[in-house]
Amino acid sequence: MNEDQIKLEKDIIAEGLGLIAAEGYINNEGGQAIADAAADLMNKGCGTLLIDLDGTRIINSIGVSILLEIMEKLIEQEGRLAFCSLTPTISKTFEIMGLVQYATIFPDQESARLELEGHVTR
Amino acid sequence: MEVVLHLPVVPNVELVAAKAIEAVGGALGMPQSRVEAASVAIVEACLNAMEHGGGRMSVRVASEGGEGNSGRPRLVVEVEDHGRGFDPATAPRNTASQVLGCASKRGWGLTLIRELMDEVEIQSEPGQTIVRMCKYVENDS
Repeated sequence: MNEDQIKLEKDIIAEGLGLIAAEGYINNEGGQAIADAAADLMNKGCGTLLIDLDGTRIINSIGVSILLEIMEKLIEQEGRLAFCSLTPTISKTFEIMGLVQYATIFPDQESARLELEGHVTR
Repeated sequence: MEVVLHLPVVPNVELVAAKAIEAVGGALGMPQSRVEAASVAIVEACLNAMEHGGGRMSVRVASEGGEGNSGRPRLVVEVEDHGRGFDPATAPRNTASQVLGCASKRGWGLTLIRELMDEVEIQSEPGQTIVRMCKYVENDS
């Protein structure tokens, strides 16, 4: 795929639990696309969001700063943000920028769903 | 091996520099996770150069060391711009505890570069800033 074009899929996978699968470059445009998808899912009653970054290999700090804004909005609403399928570098970047202090990181979507579907914030 | 790029300021041009990292890092046999770390670092350096550099930038990606050359095999990256420069000693160093509730979440570029690369050296004066970074092919553990 063209790496600079982000490909997004979003779905409500359980009551109160939204999934966003993102593949591609998370820059300002990619981050904003994820933020728009998150806002839509939150408006539909999802208090817990899982962002699956399988297929995302490169990010930048502007894109991650937009993910931080999503996290702030969820915290304001007493919701929860989780990520899965991160590369080691993306995981380290999230650690450096503080995302891992407030979001939960899962190794893959299967383990994330197993945990989150039983503890959904509505 | 050496790749030199003269890049215009256009959207996503930083990915061209990241591709050069992939090519040279791959030729060096660098593990994928280390290539990806260097790719994020060069992306951040290019974004800084585009934001503060006032025009086109130059990027050099090279393999150094190993097989009869001095030092451990490594990827060396230089990003040069021609902006007004800055004092690296007083550049902001963000910390994770600052992020929530802060109106501006920008300014992470140099922090990420320093954390993701093994060595970083910045030379800056009015008209020329060079960020020189190094990532060893293997970590030292």
